[in-house]
Amino acid sequence: MLILEKLLRSKVVVWTLLVVPGLWPLWPIFIREDASVTADPLKYVLHHLGFVACILLATVLSFSPLRVLWPKWGVVQALNRHRRLVGVAVFVYAALHLATHLVFEGGLELAAVPTTLKTAVGKPFQLTGLFAFTILLVLAATSSNAAIKLLGGKVWKNIHRIVYLAAGLAVYHQAAARKLFPMQVVWIFAPLVILEIARVWKQRRAKA
Amino acid sequence: MLIRSPKAWELPESAITPENLYHLTKRRDFLRALGVTGFALAARDVLAATAGFPTKVNPAYRDPALKPTAYEHITSYNNFYEFGTDKAEPKVNANKGWQTDPWTVEIAGLVRNPFKIEANDLVMKMGGAEQRVYRLRCVEAWSMVVPWDGFELSKLIALADPKAEAKYVKFTTFVDRKNAPGQRAGNLDYPYVEGLRLDEAMNELSFIATGIYGKPIPNQNGVPLRLVVPWKYGFKSIKSIVKIELTDKQPKNTWQVLQSAEYGFFANVNPAVDHPRWTQASERVIGGGLGGRQKTLMFNGYEKQVAALYAGMDLRKNY
Repeated sequence: MLILEKLLRSKVVVWTLLVVPGLWPLWPIFIREDASVTADPLKYVLHHLGFVACILLATVLSFSPLRVLWPKWGVVQALNRHRRLVGVAVFVYAALHLATHLVFEGGLELAAVPTTLKTAVGKPFQLTGLFAFTILLVLAATSSNAAIKLLGGKVWKNIHRIVYLAAGLAVYHQAAARKLFPMQVVWIFAPLVILEIARVWKQRRAKA
Repeated sequence: MLIRSPKAWELPESAITPENLYHLTKRRDFLRALGVTGFALAARDVLAATAGFPTKVNPAYRDPALKPTAYEHITSYNNFYEFGTDKAEPKVNANKGWQTDPWTVEIAGLVRNPFKIEANDLVMKMGGAEQRVYRLRCVEAWSMVVPWDGFELSKLIALADPKAEAKYVKFTTFVDRKNAPGQRAGNLDYPYVEGLRLDEAMNELSFIATGIYGKPIPNQNGVPLRLVVPWKYGFKSIKSIVKIELTDKQPKNTWQVLQSAEYGFFANVNPAVDHPRWTQASERVIGGGLGGRQKTLMFNGYEKQVAALYAGMDLRKNY
């Protein structure tokens, strides 16, 4: 456990863990040349980036309930040092996911972007994704120390609570992405729900 | 480790016509390209063991402007939920002991001549197989061009001799919970059911595929008999058919039962009617790389052959 804690304290390790999933599609597309992926490589990249964004979002949101539940656990303390970095990574993956969608549907012409966005706004499945991205954009834009100072800690914290709305939208968006309900939504977000319930339960008990 | 015995028609890789040779039309070119005449003849002998192969290209259904999708992509990117919901899964799971030879299909319902027949016998009865190159457009907004081998559906229906009250054709696929993991998991209501109006089924384009690129159709593409209705979204082209039934009521097709707001009975390719979750105005071309999006054509480019079937119908309501 001590080794894990030490590793997770290291910025290099965390950066690697955040960047490698983004490079992953290179493997099936260029090295293994998996025909089910090269059939439509952009679709694979699109789904993969959204998938990583969802996993990282559920991960970063689990940090604070973990801290409430096991405040003295070194691994949890190590993870909580990187909250902001992981949060910004969620935004970056969501932004890449959206950019990929724009190319996926509209090609490389900039002129097609308004049409693609207009289509997105008319469809709940796509609109929820777009809305979640907008929230992440606001949060990333206000993630600097200067922004915290400018807004004041309390206001900043309240603004950043809308990340839970983004998570709810992401759950819907991911579930609607396939013709049948994808079980991955459950295994990505269910642990977070359980942790949050446990946190609320513990905090209530402490107050009583 | 997977141990499987080869089927009668299975060929060594070396005997399969490569895609570049497929594009040659003259037999002489074909032989010259192969270089070894004896080899070509040997390959023909092996092929003769399978009903209907080798097939002849039907030039009436081979638009030179259409560039067939790579065999590898056609056979590796499959929607066959019986064997899993990911595109890569059917190729793996449908080749793990699922028995498809011999295969019996039943023609029943409102016909004067109901019968049961083995798939190979059926192909011979239909006068062998021919090759047609069709566009395939999936409801998920991707498309391929597939050289199908097989026979026209109308021939089969004519043989069954429909009664006057027959208005629809209902197709049912196999049930094999032991070998089809998707059926075991119950990801859809099985058996998978599809249907056509009788006049749609009798259209010249409606086809029963038994092969792809001049080779027997791989398991993951719907061995051994698979419907192909190229002006409709791909889910209408039901795979691995065991029963064809003439009825007087509109059959309830599987996807419509599951999600009627998104999938209808007709499911005609229509760029003007969007899917609730994505646009149908354009499509991703399989094998098109990182670019590769093109405009979707009305009735998938088969307006001339099928538009008359839907004269006066509101295609927004009858999606």
